[in-house]
Amino acid sequence: MDNLISLMHGFGVAATGFHLTLMVVGVLLGILVGVLPGLGAPNGVSLLLPLTFSMDPVSAIILLTSMYWGALFGGSTTSILFNIPGEPSSVATTFDGYPMAKQGRATEALSLAFLSAGFGALAGVVLITILSTWVAKFALRFSSPEYFAVYFLAFASFVGLGGTSPFKTIVSMMLGFAFATVGMDTISGSLRLTFGFNELLSGISFLVAVIGLFGIGELILTMEEGLRFDGIHAKVSPRDVLATIQRMPRYWMTLLRSSLIGCWMGITPGGPTAASFMSYGLAKRFARNKEGFGKGRPEGVIAPETADHAAGTSAILPMLALGVPGSATAAVMMGGLMIWGLNPGPMLFIEKPDFVWGLVASMYLGNVVAVVLVLATVPFFAAILRIPFAIIGPVIVVVCFIGAYTVSSSMFDLWLALGFGVVGYVFKKLDYPVAPLVLAMVLGDKAEDAFRQSMIMSRGSLAIFWSNPLVACMTALAVALLLWPLIGMAQDRLRASRAVAPVG
Amino acid sequence: MKRITALALAFAASVASAPIAQAAWQPSKPVEFVVTSGPGGGTDTFARVVQSIIAKHKLVEQPIVVTNKGGGSGAEGFVYGKGAAGDPHKVIFGTNNEYLLPLVAKLAFKPDDLTPVAAMAMDEFLIWVNGNAEFKDAKTYLAAAKSKPEGFKMGGSQSKDTDETLTKLIEGATGTKFIYIPFKGGGEAAVQLAGAHIDSNVNNPNENIGQWKAGLVKPLCVFSPQRLPAGPKVAGDMSWGDIPTCKEQGVGIDQFQMPRTVWLAPKAPDDAVSFYADVLAKVKDTPEWKEYIERTSQTNRFLSGAELKTFIASDEEKNRKVFEKEGWVVK
Amino acid sequence: MSSTDETVQPRALLSRRAAETVAALFTGAIGATVVIGSREYGTGWDSSGPQPGAFPFYVGLIIVAASLVNLVRGALAGAGPVFVDRLQARQAASFFLPIVAFVVLTVTLGIYVGAALYLFGVMVFQGGYRWWTALAVSLGVALFFFVVLERWFQVPLLKGPLEAALGIY
Repeated sequence: MDNLISLMHGFGVAATGFHLTLMVVGVLLGILVGVLPGLGAPNGVSLLLPLTFSMDPVSAIILLTSMYWGALFGGSTTSILFNIPGEPSSVATTFDGYPMAKQGRATEALSLAFLSAGFGALAGVVLITILSTWVAKFALRFSSPEYFAVYFLAFASFVGLGGTSPFKTIVSMMLGFAFATVGMDTISGSLRLTFGFNELLSGISFLVAVIGLFGIGELILTMEEGLRFDGIHAKVSPRDVLATIQRMPRYWMTLLRSSLIGCWMGITPGGPTAASFMSYGLAKRFARNKEGFGKGRPEGVIAPETADHAAGTSAILPMLALGVPGSATAAVMMGGLMIWGLNPGPMLFIEKPDFVWGLVASMYLGNVVAVVLVLATVPFFAAILRIPFAIIGPVIVVVCFIGAYTVSSSMFDLWLALGFGVVGYVFKKLDYPVAPLVLAMVLGDKAEDAFRQSMIMSRGSLAIFWSNPLVACMTALAVALLLWPLIGMAQDRLRASRAVAPVG
Repeated sequence: MKRITALALAFAASVASAPIAQAAWQPSKPVEFVVTSGPGGGTDTFARVVQSIIAKHKLVEQPIVVTNKGGGSGAEGFVYGKGAAGDPHKVIFGTNNEYLLPLVAKLAFKPDDLTPVAAMAMDEFLIWVNGNAEFKDAKTYLAAAKSKPEGFKMGGSQSKDTDETLTKLIEGATGTKFIYIPFKGGGEAAVQLAGAHIDSNVNNPNENIGQWKAGLVKPLCVFSPQRLPAGPKVAGDMSWGDIPTCKEQGVGIDQFQMPRTVWLAPKAPDDAVSFYADVLAKVKDTPEWKEYIERTSQTNRFLSGAELKTFIASDEEKNRKVFEKEGWVVK
Repeated sequence: MSSTDETVQPRALLSRRAAETVAALFTGAIGATVVIGSREYGTGWDSSGPQPGAFPFYVGLIIVAASLVNLVRGALAGAGPVFVDRLQARQAASFFLPIVAFVVLTVTLGIYVGAALYLFGVMVFQGGYRWWTALAVSLGVALFFFVVLERWFQVPLLKGPLEAALGIY
C-alpha cells in the first residue's frame, strides 16, 4: 500500500503540463531515432544527455525515458514495414510482422505491435510499482552461474524450432557464436580472432549483421521475385485500428505469458532482445497449431512485442535499485543519473522518492502517450509505402547503410553490411535459418563470460550450475526445454511405429 | 514536428558559436570528442561533462560532437585517433589505458603515437567488502585472506586492467593470493559484492557509493597518500574522510590512482595542444567541474605540458613492473 | 537456343546443388578460420575453466563438421530445382550491383554524395524517371539526412572531398 501512496504522489510530480510536453517531445524524437536503424535509443539518449544537465533530474529522466519508449516503438515500425529492425530487440517482430505487411495487413500488424507493446510496458510498470522492494532484493541473488542459466534458458526456449535441416540450423547458430567472440575478451583481456585487423577490434556488430541479413538480404530477394511491395497498398482507416483493438482480448494467453517472460528477463539480466526471442519461441511451442508462424500469425507479432516492452520497462528497476543497467540505453541513463548528482542504489528510493516515483508515474503516462502518438503515425508510415518502389527501395538501402555506419562510425561496417546482405539472401534461398545466428550473436559473448566467470568461481567445477535452488531450477528448466522437441520427435516415431505394428 | 524542430534548434544553439578571446590556433571545423568507452562508462561521463561545460561557457567557437569508440577496452578510439594524424579536430578522452593497453595486447598503436594534452582528475581506488562481512578494517581482512590463499574472491572491471593490476599489487605487498574475477564493469562488480557473491572489490568511489549508502558494502581503506576530503556523511556516521588510507592499515602501497586523460592525434601542432590545454584549464575552474569532481569523489588534479609527460612516464613504469612480473606484457 | 525455352521454363543459371556446395564451402572456410585463429590463445581447460580460445575453437570445429554434412547432403540430393534462373539473376543483379557502386562511392566521396549519386542513377536508369525529378529526390533525401543527423542529432557521418571543399567539415 505504501507503494501505491508513493505512486499517487508520483503522479502529482509527473502529471504537469511541462512534463507532459516533455513526454510528447521525447516520444516523437524517440520514434525518429528508432526508425533510423543504427542510430537507436542508446545513441539518441546520449545525444540528449547534455541538454538535460541544466534540467531538474525528474524532468530530465522523463525526457530520456520517453525518448526510449518512442525508440522502442519506432524500431518495431521499420521491422514490420521494411523487415529492418530499428532496434536489436525488434528483430523477432520481423518474423511475422513483415509477412503480414507483405500480405497487405500492415495496419493490423502495426496496431497489434503497438497495442501489445503498450500492454507489456504497463505490465512492467505495475510490477515495479507493486514489487519494487522485493525485486531489488531478488536481483541481488544473481551471480554469474545464474546469469548463465538465464541465457541458457532463453536459448533453449528458442532453438529447435522447425527448420528444414538440423545441420543448417547448427551452422547458422555456431556462426553467430563465432562472430560474437571476435574482439576483446573480458575474461582474459586478450583480442580474439581479429587477425591483426583494426576494424575487428570492436568485434562484429550485431546491428550491422542484422541490417545486412534482414534489410539488404530481404530487399535483394524481393527484387529477384519482382514483388516490389505489391501488397502494402491497403488503405489505413481508424476502423482497422479499432477492429484490432477489439480482437486483442482473444490473445490474452499470449499477452499474459509474454508479459511474464518480459518482466522476468527485465529484472534478471537477460534484457529485452533475449526476452523477445524467448517469448516468440514459447508462443510457437505452446501454439496448438504451429502452422503459419513465420508467415504472418498475429501471435508472432504480439509475443515478441509484449515481452520486449515488458523487459525494457522492468529493466529500469535494477538500474535504479542496483545500478546495473539492463540494456545499453539504461547504461546511458545511469550515466545521466550520476551527472545529475543521483547515485543509483537501494537508497535512491528512500532519499529521492520524488524522483523515483515521479519516474514510475511518468512511465504509466509516457507509455500511454507513446501508444497514442505512435498509432497516429501509422497513416504517415503507410503513406511512405505508397511511394513507388523505384524510389523507396533505394532510399531504404541508403537508410540501411547510414544505420550500419552510425553503429561505430566505421567504413568497414559498410562492407560488412553488404557481405551480410549477400549471406542473408543466399541463406534464405537455401533454407538456412537466420534467427539462430542472430540470437547467438546477442547472447554468445554474455553467456561465454558468465560461464567462464562461474568456472573461475568454482575452480573449474560444473557443479556450480546446481549449487543452489535458484540456479538449479533454471538449469533444469532449460535442459527440459532443450530436450522437449526431441521428446516430441520420439513420441511421433513411437506413434508411427505403433500404427505400423498391427499390420506387420 | 514543430516541437522537434524547436528542440533541435535549442540543441544547436546550446553548442553554437560565440566570440571568444583570440588565440594562435582555433578549430576551423566541428571538433570531435572521441570517447574510449561505451556510452555510460566513466570516460563517457567525463567527456560529456567537459563537453557540457565548454558549451555552457562557450569556450570553443565550433560545435563539439561526441562519438563513442569503446571497442577493445578503448583501443578502437586510440587507433582511430592515430589514423587522424595531423588533424587537430579530434580530441581523444581516456584514462591510463592509452599507455597501458598496448603493453598487454597487440595493438596497432604505440603509447607515444598520440599527443598528450592534459590529465584532469584522478580517480581513487578503495578496498571494499560486503556490508555484513565480519571484517572491520583492512588489516583483519588481509590477514584472513593471507591465511587462506585463493580462498577469497576479488572482483573487478575487466582483465589486465587497473583493477587486476591493483589486486596483484596488493598480493605482492601483503603476501595474499586472491581469486580475481573479471566483470564487464565496476557497476557489476559492485552488485556482485552487495549480493555477497564475491568477498571484496577495488572499485572507484563512484562505482560503489550507491551500495555503500544502503549499507550493502563498506570501505576498508583508500589507496591515496592522505585521507579523502571529509565532505558530508555518506553512510551512517561515516564520510569519505573517515576511511583510513591503506598505508595506515599497513599495506605498502602509497598511492594508486587512475588519471582521466585527454589526447590529440599524432603530429598535432603545438599551438593546437596549448589551445586545448587552455580550454581544459578553464573548464577545470568552473563550478560545474568542481561539482562533478565532488560528486564522483575523484581528486582534482590538473596536469599538462612537461608535468604531464613526467607523470605518464612514472605511471607507466609503475604498472609495467606489475605487468612484467605477471607475464602480461606482449611482445 | 530457342527463345520459347526461356519463357516456358527459364534457364537455370545456377543449380541448387551448386549453390549448396558453394554455401557449405563458404561456411566451412569460416569455421576453419575460426579454428586456426583460436589456437593462438590456448584451447584447453585449466583450473580457471576454459581458456580464451576454447570456446571459439570448438564452435569452429562444429561449423566445419556441420558444413561437411551439408556439403555431402547437398551433393547427394541431386541437381535439384533451380537456384536462380537468368531472369531472377538479372533482376537481383540490377538491384545489387548499384548497391555495390553506392558503397564504393560512399567510401570515396562520403555518404551524402554517394547516396545522392546512387539515388539519382537508380531512378533515372532503372526507374525511368525524368532527370529533374530524380535530381530533386536524390538531393532532397541527402539533404534531409544531413540536417537530421549532422545538425539535429550531431552524428557525424562519413564525409568526402565535397564537404571539405564546402568547408562543412
